[in-house]
Amino acid sequence: MTETLNPELDLEITRVIKAPRAAVWAAWTDPARFAKWWVPAPEVCRIVRMEVRPGGAMVTEIAASEGAAFGPHMSACYLEVVEGQRIVFTNALTGGWRPAEQPFMTAVITLAEHDLGTAYRALVMHKSPADRTMHQELGFYDGWGTVTAQLAALVETGR
Amino acid sequence: MEQYQHQLDGIFQALADPTRRAVIGRLGKGPASVGALAEPFDMALPSFMKHIHMLEQSGLIRTSKLGRVRTCALEAARLAAVGGWLSAQQQIWESRTDRLEQFVTDKEQGK
Repeated sequence: MTETLNPELDLEITRVIKAPRAAVWAAWTDPARFAKWWVPAPEVCRIVRMEVRPGGAMVTEIAASEGAAFGPHMSACYLEVVEGQRIVFTNALTGGWRPAEQPFMTAVITLAEHDLGTAYRALVMHKSPADRTMHQELGFYDGWGTVTAQLAALVETGR
Repeated sequence: MEQYQHQLDGIFQALADPTRRAVIGRLGKGPASVGALAEPFDMALPSFMKHIHMLEQSGLIRTSKLGRVRTCALEAARLAAVGGWLSAQQQIWESRTDRLEQFVTDKEQGK
């Protein structure tokens, strides 16, 4: 199945990760490894369910820091799983294909072989949120996404 | 609507200067006093304070004074809000991918 990018609703991240495809796959499918990168420190997350197969549930919880109370984070359903290559999941459904209360996104994670390791791609498609029209009217989109991303990078690396 | 445009102008202006970008970068690690922020720069304090005021006016940072020490902190909500929801999501996924990349590459080096 292929998917098309709608620049107003979707985001795409492509990157070459200098690690074997199997390592990246394990980071996405092994709960213990997944928990180590899914949320930013000092937040911690707990993997409640990670049934990596079509119809399986993916449920994570998040806490503000070590020892703090956990609250809901992500409740999704895997739609497609191709071992070592592709994971598609959505929070429009919960485990067992049950329709979710607040559908918002579908993510398509693709891994491919690359000379340097893994060609990684994350495509995240969104439902239009209510406030989108307002933002568009205000001209928030033009060029602003890039600035925000750079700003985020700046903040993350502290440089 | 004009108010939003005005805010955007302020933010772009605030980010147009290397000193101010460095301050934002430093505050990404956590709040700091004006004195600590000024230290790396070869600049008189009044000049440095102009940069701080500009950042504060743009809404990117907030400051609070306790005794004689003024502390600055990043206004993270503002960073996400001004970019709109899609930029905020982009930011989340970029950081997520950074962490994934770091996790899998660190692990390999450890072998």
